[in-house]
Amino acid sequence: MTVIEIDGLRKSYKTHEAVRGVSLKVEKGEIFGIAGPNGAGKTTVVECATGLRRPDGGTLRVLGLDPRSDRRALLQRVGVQLQEAALPDAIKVEEALRMYASFYDKPADWRELMDEWGLADRRRAGFASLSGGWKQRLFIALALVGDPEVVFLDELTTGLDPSARRTTWGLIRAMRERGVTVVLVTHFMDEAEALCDRIAIIDEGRVAAEGTPSRLIIEGRSDSLENAYFALTGKEMA
Amino acid sequence: MRGLRQVTAVELKLIMRDPMSAFFALAFPALMLAVKMRSGRPLPGGLPAIDATVPMLSVFVIGLAGLVVLPATLAQYRERRVLKRLRATPASSTMLFGSQWIAHMLLAVLGTALLIVIGLAFFGLAAPANPGGVVLAWVLGALSLSSIGLLLGALVPSGRGATVIGLSLFFPMVFLSGAMIPRETMSGSMRAIGDLTPMAPAVQAIRDGWAGDATSPLTLGVMVAISVIAGGVAVKAFRW
Repeated sequence: MTVIEIDGLRKSYKTHEAVRGVSLKVEKGEIFGIAGPNGAGKTTVVECATGLRRPDGGTLRVLGLDPRSDRRALLQRVGVQLQEAALPDAIKVEEALRMYASFYDKPADWRELMDEWGLADRRRAGFASLSGGWKQRLFIALALVGDPEVVFLDELTTGLDPSARRTTWGLIRAMRERGVTVVLVTHFMDEAEALCDRIAIIDEGRVAAEGTPSRLIIEGRSDSLENAYFALTGKEMA
Repeated sequence: MRGLRQVTAVELKLIMRDPMSAFFALAFPALMLAVKMRSGRPLPGGLPAIDATVPMLSVFVIGLAGLVVLPATLAQYRERRVLKRLRATPASSTMLFGSQWIAHMLLAVLGTALLIVIGLAFFGLAAPANPGGVVLAWVLGALSLSSIGLLLGALVPSGRGATVIGLSLFFPMVFLSGAMIPRETMSGSMRAIGDLTPMAPAVQAIRDGWAGDATSPLTLGVMVAISVIAGGVAVKAFRW
């Protein structure tokens, strides 16, 4: 079953064309990677798919809904972790979870989520006092607090140390095991290779390549997704 | 409704955790009241100083909460992308801004209540002659000043910028409008300038209600007009 269908998506900002005709299909229950360099248009795709931005052209369907006209109905069923988003400094972990749970008609049990994601010991810690890894856990828990069918995770592990990053990978796999469809935006090719069932490599606003990690590696005649990425996008290695 | 209650409760806690806003909205006006009452001679016309000072300082509190803290919160939330994260939830914008507004007005209620309690306990504050008039005037004052605050919060991109602009509107207004210095003791020209500020009708109407004087419908109308115009522009101009 297709849960996300994007066809010919285009979006320009004042000074540049961020997305120039992206088409994607994401199937239920998979971890779908949107990979590519900084500024490739990945975040714009996610922001259009979650109704945060109005596309200039193309069609989008997420869970059969139009992200702009059915925004609130869609957001009842979709969880989002946004790049560089934040919470107020003084808000406590449990307050954030309880508050976000109150936005949904059928939320997950936020106390269970807090335990499950290891946040229970830090329930009374203020957001500003959390380290990067704990903030990310809280963001993941907030993305899941509406008991979503689809979760968008944008640059989840940027700024994490290697061990926190590995832990986060495990948590994302655990999400898939719960039957949640995960769209993972990343510029780390090792991350995409390790986690994703299928990947779209986006470059300069277009899909440069799409497929399973192993297929992309074969297509790029490479030994790793990272090398395949350079081969497929024609990018120079610095 | 659950969302409104939750967000309001959390926001009020966050405001109280910020030492600056809690101090300036609660402790500072209370200290000012005590200091003013040390030399509290009756005003020209014979009104006991306390019966003018508590209504006056309640406008100080409203102004601080609505004109300084509220826009600073909103602009900081935009700058830090707190609003953007909230936008990616099914929470309605009406609920979110309604909660923000209520939380900041509750701060003003707390500050006003503190002034009244201190006035009653230590300085022989008289009960308001027209309690309904005081409440109406207080609410309209809060609506009009906080709608200007919402407009600031809608337009200014950074929290620091909103604080600076909010304070630079707030301080001249509290000095000139009679929220800190009784209008009776101000020079005619100061009073004339002060009457042009949007804080003056709030001071006038709350003091009238407390003393039992009739408030001119024009004074109340000005506050309604400010609320509608500034609030309307704020809603139109708001960026997440």
